[in-house]
Amino acid sequence: MSQPTRLRIAGGTVYDPANGVDGAVRDVCIEGDRIVADLPQGAPRLDARGMVVMPGGVDIHAHVAGSSVNHARRLLPEEHAADPVPAPRLEEGGPARSGTGGTLPSTFATGYRYAGLGYTTVMEAAVAPLAARHAHAELDDTPIIDAGFYVLLGNDDYLLDQLARGEGARARDYAAWLVGAARAYAIKIVNPGGIALWKGSGEVGRRNVTGLDESLGSSTVTPRKILEALAGAANALALPHPVHIHCNNLGQPGNAATTLESMKALGGQRAHFTHLQFHSYGGERGKAWQSAAREVIEYVNAHPETSVDVGQVMFGPATTVTADGPVEHLLYTSTGRKWVNVDIELESGCGIVPYAYKERAAVAALQWAVGLELFLLAKDPWRVVLSTDHPNGGTFLSYPELIRLLMDRAYRDERLKGVNHKLLAESALLDGLAREYTLGEIAIVTRAGPARLLGLTSKGHLGPGADADVTIYANDADRARMFATPRYVLKAGTLVVEEGQLRRAPAGRRLAVRPEVDAAAAKDVKRFFDRYASVSFENYGAEPVA
Amino acid sequence: MSARDLEHVTCLGCGCACDDITIVVQRGRIAEARSACALGVAWFGDGALPAEIRVHAHTASLEQALTETAGLLAGAKRPLVYLAGDISCETQREAVAIADRLHAAIDSLAATAAVGVLAAQRRGRAGATLGEIRQRADLVVFWGVDPAERYPRFASRYAVEPAGLQTPSGRKSRTVAAVDVGASRGPADADIRVALGAPEEVDALGVMRATVQGRAAEYGGRFGTAIDLARRMTQARYTAIVADGEPGPIPSDRDRAEALVTLAQALNGPTRCALATLRGGGNRSGADAVLTWLTGFPFAVDFARGHPSYRPSAGAAALLAAGEIDAALVVGAAATLPGPVAERLAAVRTAAIGPRASAATFQPVVAIDTGVAGIHEGGLAFRMDDVPLPLRPSLEAPHAALATVRALRERLGA
Repeated sequence: MSQPTRLRIAGGTVYDPANGVDGAVRDVCIEGDRIVADLPQGAPRLDARGMVVMPGGVDIHAHVAGSSVNHARRLLPEEHAADPVPAPRLEEGGPARSGTGGTLPSTFATGYRYAGLGYTTVMEAAVAPLAARHAHAELDDTPIIDAGFYVLLGNDDYLLDQLARGEGARARDYAAWLVGAARAYAIKIVNPGGIALWKGSGEVGRRNVTGLDESLGSSTVTPRKILEALAGAANALALPHPVHIHCNNLGQPGNAATTLESMKALGGQRAHFTHLQFHSYGGERGKAWQSAAREVIEYVNAHPETSVDVGQVMFGPATTVTADGPVEHLLYTSTGRKWVNVDIELESGCGIVPYAYKERAAVAALQWAVGLELFLLAKDPWRVVLSTDHPNGGTFLSYPELIRLLMDRAYRDERLKGVNHKLLAESALLDGLAREYTLGEIAIVTRAGPARLLGLTSKGHLGPGADADVTIYANDADRARMFATPRYVLKAGTLVVEEGQLRRAPAGRRLAVRPEVDAAAAKDVKRFFDRYASVSFENYGAEPVA
Repeated sequence: MSARDLEHVTCLGCGCACDDITIVVQRGRIAEARSACALGVAWFGDGALPAEIRVHAHTASLEQALTETAGLLAGAKRPLVYLAGDISCETQREAVAIADRLHAAIDSLAATAAVGVLAAQRRGRAGATLGEIRQRADLVVFWGVDPAERYPRFASRYAVEPAGLQTPSGRKSRTVAAVDVGASRGPADADIRVALGAPEEVDALGVMRATVQGRAAEYGGRFGTAIDLARRMTQARYTAIVADGEPGPIPSDRDRAEALVTLAQALNGPTRCALATLRGGGNRSGADAVLTWLTGFPFAVDFARGHPSYRPSAGAAALLAAGEIDAALVVGAAATLPGPVAERLAAVRTAAIGPRASAATFQPVVAIDTGVAGIHEGGLAFRMDDVPLPLRPSLEAPHAALATVRALRERLGA
């Protein structure tokens, strides 16, 4: 079948929660790269009887492109050697590329594998503005998926300086300018203030913040002020996605208190809290860990302005890669594994440690349980997105297994028996959480919900005018098998997967926003830049120069 | 034609990739490369280049040259693609696509720093972008290198002289230490000097690491000055260790490279430290980045099995020396090829696409002269610290490397 300009996906069981369709048998019609209400009778048909039809998957948080991802790839030749990816045999429309996999696949393999999983939109979650050009170049080499990235703010010296001077409006203008200059999609905060301290901005010997109201060095700036300024900026600029927050104290026992405080600090305004699992621990710093998932998710349940993705831990290999430098240093000293740290001038950091989550390890088992609790206790799936913080909690290839854990209680209970119970005393999972996600709910947490939270109005649904990104699964009681190998995937109307095989690999589109910018703000940034930066202001960002 | 100035131009003369150059063009030639060092001035030159296309030493059309190249490569049993210097990342990406399609071996100029890359793959890195060193470093330790020679503006732009957020007085805010290793001496104006014999260098690094970790036993006077330096490093607020990643008088040695990494890592905890590895120019760091994102490996990649394999001990030089290669494609400036690679290429049927390909010493079967990335072509390049920078062409060349390699790729169905 050549690329259809028209296609009727006929007789499938459709899950399109954004349009209130929950398992209804109906046709989905495509013309060009869009969904249309109907087609003439003679239009080409794809027989989807007995199959499950959903919008293409939308990954709201993954690490797939850019300088930190490439540092991690370079660190892991052994993984790539163990997982070769020969070029797929594509039909017409361009030659295929080989690559390698592992927890951080090469760029073409990343695009192919996401598409093979039925995901058609992916957000790279952390790009330092200094490396924005690099991230775009990698995304240019990542086929099929539509992709954008979040630009790192909140530890950058210019912003902290403006906040210290009480120049809140200037901070907002700067954020607007930076998002546009980097051709980014949203604002990302990682460990507000903590990375700046890790790099030495505070008093000698201070390497991280531990609480929301700790001042940074001698200034009056605190993590709370950073959160407020940037959440306010994203909302005032009406960015399609609110500020995307990786809280302070990631991975620390007792960090749920900080997480809740951060959420409360932004109460009443939109904010997205990412990889919540890593921020939902009770207990005390330096002592025992326990689950605080119930407390955290109950807050989320009660606050419609707050959204999260879970950052589920999956047993198996992972690579921790984050701008949160101090966390990775901790992981390096506690595991003795190889470690990359790269401080990024005036902006951010980057830390990488390869890792593996083992059922028999008490902390890994706790993390696994906390993630599942968050999912199972969540009341509104529209605000609780499926993620593993790829590749931090596990790779995106583990999403099908995660879906099975959510949909199949018997399977989940069986897996629970096999994990270390030492730290699970406070876990609601042991109380026998009976919930099983429905296919409709899976469609929300993997496509409709994230698309809505991202403000991607033409993604995550199958209504007329939507992008023709469609995934068709053979219905299978083994939900892991079902979601791992969709029978058909359409991207912008092109059949990229047929009969479970990747057949076409068109280029994806870039998702970026361009807020209006106050010219005076850019001028002031240039003044700071000319004084301190090691690259010319005119070469910064990701705009074409010639 | 009147003079015109082009500002914020990136120089690829060395890995510093200074992007503050102003190019003055007069009558179609570069009259001045303002702000550039001597090395940069030489790299820009006047921008004049040969613009020949040759097949078997005879002038040919682009069409003929591409057809001949495609035939040469498609008919090869064991082709090699080599990414030489002075091409953009965009051109590098096209060349990797060709290697993938041909199931060829591919290597690049980035392999000159292989020892350091391999050490980082075993142990990791404690690094920073150069601007962070500028902001933070109050102690800069030049380990067996004086950057003045091969990286002339390193000290004035990044590590030593410029003021930073926490180094408001520039050079006066910093202590500079020079570790002389055998004949490889650090900067002459250092505040502290440590002299080591080349054979004792790795041991000294180990003792320094032990000192940093508080587990140094009695080492007597032999490493006394090195131990003193290690103590100063732990007392500094942010130490930068600067070492040369490119081959030089100190033999490239796996133990040395790992010892530098692990010393820098150990200093993080007691204090902060970054190891800055100096790398050469021509956008070789871009070749490393591009190969890594396209294959998962930074150099010495082999597509022979239909997917990328990593052959760090069987890169281009080794494959050529073993007589395995029966055809080669060199993309980039032939003059930047490492000696052993260029010499062996003379025995192989080679097509060269790049600046001054027609003057290549290895006498390629096909030579297509192109412009130089950063002088005649735009695109993306990487600084030695993996910071991406745009290239701003100031002149035009008859044949752009990117367009030429892309045309070859299309011809090969890649």
